[in-house]
Amino acid sequence: MAVEALRFIREREEAGQKQIEAAKERAVEIARAAEEEVKGRKEAARVDEKNVSFEVADKYAKEGGEEEKELMKNAEAEAEKLRSIAESNIENTASIVLEKILGLG
Amino acid sequence: MIRLGVNEIEGRIKDEANAECDKIVSEAEAKASELISEAREEIEDRKKDFIVAEEARGLEEKERMVRAARLNARKLKWNAEEEMTKKALEETMKRIKKVKEEGFKGVSYSDIMAGLIKDASISLIAGGGTDNELEAVICEEDVSYIDKSILKKVSTELSHDITVPVKLSLSRERIKSAGGVIVRGKEGKIEVNNTFEQRMTRYSASIREDIMKTLFTEK
Repeated sequence: MAVEALRFIREREEAGQKQIEAAKERAVEIARAAEEEVKGRKEAARVDEKNVSFEVADKYAKEGGEEEKELMKNAEAEAEKLRSIAESNIENTASIVLEKILGLG
Repeated sequence: MIRLGVNEIEGRIKDEANAECDKIVSEAEAKASELISEAREEIEDRKKDFIVAEEARGLEEKERMVRAARLNARKLKWNAEEEMTKKALEETMKRIKKVKEEGFKGVSYSDIMAGLIKDASISLIAGGGTDNELEAVICEEDVSYIDKSILKKVSTELSHDITVPVKLSLSRERIKSAGGVIVRGKEGKIEVNNTFEQRMTRYSASIREDIMKTLFTEK
């Protein structure tokens, strides 16, 4: 009767040990899953960075492009105005230059 | 009696094993949760820094674009100014032909040439290094505007103005020029170039200044 009891207790202890081993394996799985999740999150963040980089660059390129367009439009208008003013002053200017090169100025 | 003791021991073994298992799993879960939480924080911080850096880079690129555009805009205006300045100078040279026929502001071309000969002669004599016997070299087209009487008149004026007798003659040599004159000592070592092309170059700075003041001023 006592031998049987001892055997029974040993069997239970072994079952308990197995249960603990299983828990340790589960802990390893949990750690591995966590590492995988971290890896996944980091990978997703890298993809996200690429998108952010593209979006930010695109936003500023568009803003720069618009300012550039505006500046060139104004400059073209100003250049055209300069040409128009100069056309109306060309005779007078030629007279002033002539005076100088003819030695009359 | 023994059976009861065994049951108690079994219960304790089970409880201890369960407690140990719970502890192992919950510690693993806590560690995993901490790892994920730390990673999340790190990712968030990195994202914030990344956005700040990307914004700065984007802004810098935009500013570079705007700076380049400003430069191009300035170039566009400079080009317009250069184009019109060149046109004004071409117009000036075109009008020389008319000046030869009609004079300029009531002064005949012969008198203009006389003035240029006189100025060049004064510079030559004042500079020294030549005797007072000078010759004027002109282009073929201007021969009809200079005769002996004009040269004599200039010589007389010079002799009077600088109180030194000056003898001026017309060289047989001809120059390629739109007009004006080169005056040199008879020995030909020193000369003053008063051709229009040379005067245009000599006075280019003040001519350009006059052009900028007149050509681009709105009336």
